[in-house]
Amino acid sequence: MNPVLALRAVSKNFGMTAALTDMTLELFPGEVHAIVGENGAGKSTMIKIMTGIHQPSAGTVEVDGAPVVLSGSKAARLRGVAAIYQEPMVFPDLDVTENIFISATSGLLLNRPAMRRRARELIARIGMTLDVDRIASGLSLAEQQAVEIARALSQDVRVLIMDEPTASLSAHEASELRRIARALAADGVSVVYISHRLEEVFELANRVSVIRDGKHISTKGIADTNPQTLIAEMVGREVGNYFTKMPSTATSETLISVQGLSVDGVFENISFDIKRGEVLAMAGLIGARRTDVALALFGMLKTSAGQVTYKGQPLQITSSRQAIDAGIAYVSEDRRKMGLAMALPIRWNITLATLQKYLSPMGLINTGAEVATAWDYKKKLNIRTPNTDIAVGLLSGGNQQKVMLAKWLNMAPDLLIVDEPTRGIDVGAKAEVHALIRAFTAAGGTALVISSDLPEVLALGDRILVMREGRQMAIINHEDASQESIMALATGQKDAA
Amino acid sequence: MSRLFSWEGFLFACLIVIFTFNAVAAPDFLSISNQINLFQLSIEKIILALVMTFVIINAEIDLSVGSMMGLSACTFGYLHQMGMPAALVILICLCIGVAGGLFNGWFTARLGLPSLVVTLATLIGFRGLARVMLEDRGIGGFPDWFAALGQKGLIGPIPFALISFVVLFFVLYILLERSGFGRKTYVIGSNRDVADFAGIDTARHKIIIFTMSGAAAAFAGLLYAARVGAVRGDVASGFELDVITIVLLGGVSIFGGKGSLVGTLLSILIVLNLRNGMALLSITGHIQTGVIGLLLIASVVIPRTKLATPSFLKPEVTP
Repeated sequence: MNPVLALRAVSKNFGMTAALTDMTLELFPGEVHAIVGENGAGKSTMIKIMTGIHQPSAGTVEVDGAPVVLSGSKAARLRGVAAIYQEPMVFPDLDVTENIFISATSGLLLNRPAMRRRARELIARIGMTLDVDRIASGLSLAEQQAVEIARALSQDVRVLIMDEPTASLSAHEASELRRIARALAADGVSVVYISHRLEEVFELANRVSVIRDGKHISTKGIADTNPQTLIAEMVGREVGNYFTKMPSTATSETLISVQGLSVDGVFENISFDIKRGEVLAMAGLIGARRTDVALALFGMLKTSAGQVTYKGQPLQITSSRQAIDAGIAYVSEDRRKMGLAMALPIRWNITLATLQKYLSPMGLINTGAEVATAWDYKKKLNIRTPNTDIAVGLLSGGNQQKVMLAKWLNMAPDLLIVDEPTRGIDVGAKAEVHALIRAFTAAGGTALVISSDLPEVLALGDRILVMREGRQMAIINHEDASQESIMALATGQKDAA
Repeated sequence: MSRLFSWEGFLFACLIVIFTFNAVAAPDFLSISNQINLFQLSIEKIILALVMTFVIINAEIDLSVGSMMGLSACTFGYLHQMGMPAALVILICLCIGVAGGLFNGWFTARLGLPSLVVTLATLIGFRGLARVMLEDRGIGGFPDWFAALGQKGLIGPIPFALISFVVLFFVLYILLERSGFGRKTYVIGSNRDVADFAGIDTARHKIIIFTMSGAAAAFAGLLYAARVGAVRGDVASGFELDVITIVLLGGVSIFGGKGSLVGTLLSILIVLNLRNGMALLSITGHIQTGVIGLLLIASVVIPRTKLATPSFLKPEVTP
């Protein structure tokens, strides 16, 4: 039997970064093929190549054994490849029928009765009961996903990629969706199922492929593997030198103590303390809500319960201004949205959080002092730029990351919260950023590092707090932690201690 | 060097061309009275353009400035006719401007409504108030000193309004380009989330800017009353579009975060000189408006073409 869709030695590079290397994968009709891997392993890039959004830098995509070029998502759909995501893409103001046939192209006039009849058939085919005249905005997430699946079916889908489809669903809705996936496979569709929930994978999939660092690691029948093996394969990479743990600089004085911190419906009962000079790393998968904990500590998210004791005093932070004044800095994971004003000069970005220090009593900016600061950080952090007046958006990711760190280091914080400190930057810059964080704690600073990169968690964290779906699973000492043990907690294979 | 190829450089070159052309084609053009007249005829709009530069760099828009001008001018006429002393009425008008600006700012910044909608509503609302007050009447007969302020020279031949414009330009220039307030204006306009995370009270900042805009519009309304000597319900109707045109032509990005007061000033000079030159050549007002429309389109298109930013201007960045 020919695979319906196959990747043959596909590679994809973005500039200098290789997102996929030599990826080979075969998808057969009638199977549910699970794909697992850490955040950033290359799953999204692979989906985008299968759905024609990205073109491979090398290698070929085959449909029914013949090489094809999927020049865009429309071309992929014509070949029968479609994808649905965690957030359903429906048009909220249109009804179910209109959503299903939104991209139907044949015929000039709409035949509404026929469309509604066909919509009912498609909904029935996936075993749902849904009024086809309902407006999409009134549907639950699961129902919206069903509409998306029906839309794919209306276009004779042969390969349906489901990317973390159950991540935002309730347990009941998730099991309903898995039932649909199974029904589709029984119907001869090839279902690609991407999930962080290993129990789901074992319940649903016929075969499972592990990818790591953009490479294909294994493809096995589900009976030939087990969760422990999968986790080992997901994390078991060569650990280079820069990942060696640097010695702890923790003191005995507690800087911040968090007790039972909760935000309704987001995360609950988070408790930890951090000593001066210590690095607490927060590990977990996407949807673990680690960033929300950081936002709550930084005053950007309103807490519903819990106490924070900071420098021995109770502290209630309700705004970023208050957090900054208290000496808490937050380096965002999203440089583009929350981290840097990309169109503005490097210098302006570096002094943004500390602008007050550069103002005369009249409120005028002391440009000389500002330039001196910017050049100081350019040298200290080795920011590669001809000068500090160009737009920060023109720099490479690694250098942008350094500018963002400079912005927050310049306020000389007591507590530095760094969210994904090395996302999307090359290995050299990663090592530099790690050294910076260590230098900061060696000089008496305290750091909370959120990272999805397990080697990074192990290299930086004196202790490691693992979260899963808004709950704190455990805090492990560095000596007792391994990539496997963290991943087991993060995927829920091992229960909270 | 790079300044020469910037948008401001381009505007400056345009200005020289237009200025030279005018001077050659129309002998009266260079006379002092024509030069003052050139500013005086549009003085309210160009004052509003200075403050509108802040509003748009902040990634907002204020469509209500024309109506606020009208409301201020009409309130002045109405209360003066009721017998209130002019000095007190001036104060009341400025307060109305502040209140209107606070209203716009509060609804935009605190409630998170788009300023396009909020100020469209107040464009209608302020104008409505002005018309309710004056109905179909025109009111004139203002005190001599008030009319003189609007119509005669204060320092030599230079009238009060022009002096206000020059002073305002320098004050606002320092505010935008040299002060922390101006820096925040750019950052909030460029990326409000980044500013929020940096501890800046972005809502408060936006409210201040809308208040500045309201106050400036009220001031402009008074200047109008003084210059023309009479007010009606439709004073300054549609001015907001001319003001926004000038600001955008000056290189201020409608998406915020980008632009300068120098650009706005050059744009003001270009528009004034172009209109004046065309008027001296007896070209009708409609064609004048058309030419300025073309210029606005060019100002949006040219910076997008590759030609406008030659590669040698782009900084070398090693990854």
